[in-house]
Amino acid sequence: MAGMYRLRARRWTNVAAIYGFLLLLSIVFMGPFVFAFLSSLKDNPTEWPPSLLVNQLKPSNWAAAFNLAKQGGGNGFTGGFGPHGEIYFEATYWTAQGQEPAPPEVVVARRVQGGAALALRVEHYAADYTEVRDVHQVDQEPHEGGLLTTYGFTLVNTSDLHFDTVPMDLTVPMRQQFVSGTLTPNRIERLGRAQSWDNVSSGLFPYVLANYARVFRENYSVSTGKKLFGLWIRNSFFLAATRVLTTLIFASMAGYVLARLKFWGKGAIFGLLLFSMMVPQQVTFISNYLVLRDGIFGLSRLFGVPTLLNTYGGLIISGLVGASSVFIMKQFFERLPASLEESARIDGASTYTVFFRIMLPLAKPPLGALTILTFQGVWNEFFWPLVVITSPQDKYPLTLGLLTLQRTYGAASFDWGPILAGTFISALPVLILFVVFQQYFVEGISFSGNKE
Amino acid sequence: MRNLSLRRAGEKLAPYVLLAPFLFTLIIFFGYAFVRVVYFSFTNYDLFQQPQWVGLKNYVDIFRDMDFARAMKNSLTFMAVVTTAQTLFALLLALFLNQKVRGMKFFRAAYYMPSVASSVVVTLIFIWFFQRRGVLNFLISKFNEYRNVIVLFLFAAAVLQLLQVGWEKMRKRPVTLMEPAFLFLSLLVSFMLMFAGVRLGFIPTRDVAPADIIWFNTIKTWPSFLGPLSFSVPLGAIMMFNIWTTSPTFMLLYLAGLQDIPRELYEAAAMDGAERWHVFRYIIVPQLKPITFLVVTMGLIGTLQMFDQVAILGAQAPRQSIITLAYYIYTNIFPSSSSPRVGMASAAAIFLALLTFVIVAAQRKVLGSEGDGGHV
Repeated sequence: MAGMYRLRARRWTNVAAIYGFLLLLSIVFMGPFVFAFLSSLKDNPTEWPPSLLVNQLKPSNWAAAFNLAKQGGGNGFTGGFGPHGEIYFEATYWTAQGQEPAPPEVVVARRVQGGAALALRVEHYAADYTEVRDVHQVDQEPHEGGLLTTYGFTLVNTSDLHFDTVPMDLTVPMRQQFVSGTLTPNRIERLGRAQSWDNVSSGLFPYVLANYARVFRENYSVSTGKKLFGLWIRNSFFLAATRVLTTLIFASMAGYVLARLKFWGKGAIFGLLLFSMMVPQQVTFISNYLVLRDGIFGLSRLFGVPTLLNTYGGLIISGLVGASSVFIMKQFFERLPASLEESARIDGASTYTVFFRIMLPLAKPPLGALTILTFQGVWNEFFWPLVVITSPQDKYPLTLGLLTLQRTYGAASFDWGPILAGTFISALPVLILFVVFQQYFVEGISFSGNKE
Repeated sequence: MRNLSLRRAGEKLAPYVLLAPFLFTLIIFFGYAFVRVVYFSFTNYDLFQQPQWVGLKNYVDIFRDMDFARAMKNSLTFMAVVTTAQTLFALLLALFLNQKVRGMKFFRAAYYMPSVASSVVVTLIFIWFFQRRGVLNFLISKFNEYRNVIVLFLFAAAVLQLLQVGWEKMRKRPVTLMEPAFLFLSLLVSFMLMFAGVRLGFIPTRDVAPADIIWFNTIKTWPSFLGPLSFSVPLGAIMMFNIWTTSPTFMLLYLAGLQDIPRELYEAAAMDGAERWHVFRYIIVPQLKPITFLVVTMGLIGTLQMFDQVAILGAQAPRQSIITLAYYIYTNIFPSSSSPRVGMASAAAIFLALLTFVIVAAQRKVLGSEGDGGHV
């Protein structure tokens, strides 16, 4: 009896040990991702020491962001400071014994996140139309050998205008410590004397996803003035969709022919296919760049396009169908029984009929896998677009866009918030695909080889 | 009659018609490209003027170019370290994850996550992670601070483990030294002891300055005892995170391979009373040979092409410490200041292709290909 018990106890501890180790590995593999995501919500993702506590994820701040925007006459979720809206705000300070607590100096700041380029686009500043009214003491109580004093005040929009952002700064005398406010400030500066908020009427979503909103809001094209990030996402989707389509059609055609038909030159073509899978892309890109530059031996001029550089046409034509996709389809068609085809042939069906009517409908499973893999491949592609698409920025796919973000926000000192936010937005579609169609990814890796 | 012969001709052409799009890309964007790059490598082409034949000059020149030598060293080091580490790591992970417990599917998916994101995404996250005031330096600082505690923790766990095993041995029960159940208990108890010790102030933590390791903007090399064989710190950082992202991919391949090993083999081994190590050495390793071949081949080809990480890091690290062959080729075609040196870039590209073949072929010799094992 005791032996039984011991055995069972042992098995349970074994299972616990396995799970413990699994969790440890999860931290190794997922940890950096999860922590980077949490940090992408922070005001300063490179704060020291790095902390798991994110102001943007505190429910009290959610409620405050919602209420402040609501009071201001905007929507609680999306924010805004409406005509004649009133926002009531409170801040609590601690002063040591002997120091007289002073009410904070409240300033609605004339500043714009994202630098000078963006400031040119702002017509009206909330600072010019907002009045600070009725700064008063709400409460006072002794605390830790000093005094805790709470002040309240109201921001009033005196105009008929609607403002998206209401940046606010509070300044207090030296040694008067900020303890808490209606909303946690985004930054505390000047040795704790100044507390600043990027936007007190942001509303819930823009508050939590501030960096994400910045990515969309702050990146403008130099040449056309359009907002870039949305464009980049659209470009990547367009390229991925087109390339998935061409790959599905052409890879199944080629795969079928190579798997099941006899014809002159088959061995040579297949040999070249295998060879092409071993040669690094950095070898052939030199000629391919020139081929696109010259519009595929001048053929594109017939369509009035002098060069295929900086065009999606160039990217699409050079990537009509990849060798590994053909390989996957060939593997699939080889496994189908010969009888399927033979009976149709005896009835006099042509090769095209056999392929489109009989073989292609059977190929749904590998085509599914191919869709996912091609989408992932194109979405993540970096090297070839970097060579082909150089300007304007409006044409970039998302991977090149991220590189631009890194340069924009990393120019002076790294402003990691928007960089990380952009990174996660760009990873999202593939992550969703991965969660939904996991098994395709797993099947695909043995074919696709290294990821590009 | 004519109709019929027309049809026959159509049938004859059908394979080529269906192949046409693929043939187009294969011939123009691979075959022609490859031949043309071979030709360029013997010319002085600069993208603008007509190329002129210069014979082997480019091949001689690249071997005189310091940048090429650095690129070569970096690429080979990267290849050797990353391929070895990721293969071993993937195998170990797979051996461990080849268990039947609930929720294993979830964990496998979680581990695979870093591999599905794009290299740009992963590299940006990694640059953030390796900042001077970044997470990694923070973790290193914490490690330094708690080093005594960690050593003590391991020591206490080992003592506890020995006590438990000794107790069982005394009662003549069959136990192994690393009995998982005991190990779990030892670690847990030791952890609780340390936690209490630190909290109550019995065990002092060290007061150290935060780690201030510069990972990118440095020409330092590591490890110093290897002399000229040591690699630069930024390259080491790229290696670390590359191993982190690619191991799970290969781990999945190994897992699939492990599940294909016939159960009878294990049973027979158990009947013969084989030890764990012997099962691993004489059953698992030989059975996984085709997978190992695939994993190593894919690893070699992939690591020799490493480009994205270097290009994204760009000016954040000194060029000499991270330049790879692929990056060397790219920057010779699109240099930031001087005129393009297509001839030298082409020579380097051909060299890279040859290097890939030679290394893959050598690997095939060493590992002894299992026929269909490596469809790359």
